[in-house]
Amino acid sequence: MNKKNATIELKNVSKQFKKNTIIDGMDLSVKAGEFLVLLGPSGCGKSTTLRMIAGLEGVTSGQVMIDHRDLKELKNDGHTIAMVFQDYALYPNMTVYQNLEYALKVHKVAKEERQNRIKNVLETLNLTKYKDRLPSQLSGGQKQRVAVGRGMVKKSEIFLLDEPLSNIDVQLREKARDELQNLHATNQQTIVYVTHDQLEAMALGDRIAVMDQGIIQMIDTPENIYNNPANLFVAKFIGTPQINIVEVDYKDGNIILNGQPVITDSALKLKEQKYHLGIRPENMLCSEVRQSNQDLELTIEKIIDYGRFVQLSLVDNNGLTLKAIVNTFEFKIDEKIFVGLKRATSLLFNYETDKNIYWGNKL
Amino acid sequence: MLKKINLWHVLLIMLVLGAVVPILFMISNSFKTLRDSYTTMLNLIPIHPTVNNYLLLNKQINLLGLTWNTFFMATIVTIGKLLTGLLTAYAFRSYQFKGKIIIYLLFVATIFVPFTIVMIPNYLVISKLGLLNNILGVALPQLCDATGIMIFLKTMEKIPNTLIDAAKIDDIPNRKIFFNIVIPILKPSIVSVGAIFFINSWNEYVWPTLILKDKASFTLPLALQNYISSEGGTNFPLAMALSTIMVILPLIIYLIFQKYILNSISNSGLK
Repeated sequence: MNKKNATIELKNVSKQFKKNTIIDGMDLSVKAGEFLVLLGPSGCGKSTTLRMIAGLEGVTSGQVMIDHRDLKELKNDGHTIAMVFQDYALYPNMTVYQNLEYALKVHKVAKEERQNRIKNVLETLNLTKYKDRLPSQLSGGQKQRVAVGRGMVKKSEIFLLDEPLSNIDVQLREKARDELQNLHATNQQTIVYVTHDQLEAMALGDRIAVMDQGIIQMIDTPENIYNNPANLFVAKFIGTPQINIVEVDYKDGNIILNGQPVITDSALKLKEQKYHLGIRPENMLCSEVRQSNQDLELTIEKIIDYGRFVQLSLVDNNGLTLKAIVNTFEFKIDEKIFVGLKRATSLLFNYETDKNIYWGNKL
Repeated sequence: MLKKINLWHVLLIMLVLGAVVPILFMISNSFKTLRDSYTTMLNLIPIHPTVNNYLLLNKQINLLGLTWNTFFMATIVTIGKLLTGLLTAYAFRSYQFKGKIIIYLLFVATIFVPFTIVMIPNYLVISKLGLLNNILGVALPQLCDATGIMIFLKTMEKIPNTLIDAAKIDDIPNRKIFFNIVIPILKPSIVSVGAIFFINSWNEYVWPTLILKDKASFTLPLALQNYISSEGGTNFPLAMALSTIMVILPLIIYLIFQKYILNSISNSGLK
């Protein structure tokens, strides 16, 4: 009997196309049964990473290990890795059933076993009534499920998904996301999932690896990625609306924004220099009256009502724009508003290296 | 606006007539007596319709044998061209190797080499192989065609890479990817290109004349030549009857192929 899941390890993997470095010395280890999400803007190398794990793309240097064995030495019997592609890549000449069956048939899985597995998968994915249709006769969401199903019937140890939800309607996406989560809970395969959608990443991942320019910027749980981003890039990439980043100075326990101390903490021991201060919009404490003399006095420039929350664009006298999210709607455009910042909910980044300095304490 | 459309219609009708009239002329004369064919050659309806021409033709030459020869040759050539074309195109599509572009360009360049240039070298090779007077001798130098390679490669390039990748992840061997996935997707272009190959080969005249000297090995176009040349070409209705027979199969293939290609474009399933 096959083991249900396998570990994946990338050791100092680099990938170059002609002279362009796509992946630069990447180390990554995925635990057995883990749901890892590779998240990043397009062109950051996340798909290439996935294709290298799949063995579709060779590495320029370094090693890809599956269960501590080099991928190159691994005799792929078709049961190790399954993959779902963004455009689904269903065989257009085969029906849904045949699409699921084809790989099993080629690898001589016994007929009865084959039928059982396909039957189960079709039922799980609600595809039974479409089993005799050709891919061209299916909707986007159905195609996506067939593509996932084709991976599932293989009962592989590793399941790779390359932006599987980006081509389907927003309404369906949430449902498909839940389905994927359930599948993972049931099958406990090792999953590597590529996406550029942070919501998807936050919802699905046990851990998220945020990538940019061929380098993993941070790999951690969704909570840590959101609350303690390792650097400015991660902070900016995760969260909508985007985190507010302002240039501040530090002096004698005071964080100073445009000459005004906004956060004071006598316990702080930092070098006196410039920093980037990051405050997520929901951590901007907005109020109609001044709560403390450290509050920023801002003018409401724009109000966007999303129903669930209200997004405010705020400007100060120096032209600085900040975004804030509030739940109650009692503000009007051009009104004055007072915003307090708290140390506990703000992030401080090194001005040069963009690294999170965790207020001087290493976590 | 209306006037414009009418003018177009007139032009189209003239073009259709230009294509159809010779065929009707051929068919109608094949049913005329020798005398009528001289006196009323341009009449589309024969005055004394007769099938004697066909019966006489059947007595004079081995119609079935000739048709079989032609069919056999055209089939071998078509299958050969399709198979080599598809395999070569797949190699160009799927494998990265040194000098790929140069080799491809060399292949394509052969399209521009006129047949007359390779005719004599080919003849010498075939004669050394002892394949004169043999249908295989006609077919052998034609088993590969760069036009097919080019068309198939262009079609294969439209197959998304992920489809091949998906098969590779499933660890499907290349041979099966080729036969079970690529070939079915390419079916429409295989059928249309194949039909053109077949009809071209069916109608071929110059190269078979060089190789086939024995009347038993003749193809239909060669036999037809005997009825319109100085050797015995005075019986005009007889030549028209043979022409009619010769045109039947390509016409059927063309009709089927036309219907197929219209359906296949919309059902290719890739979009």
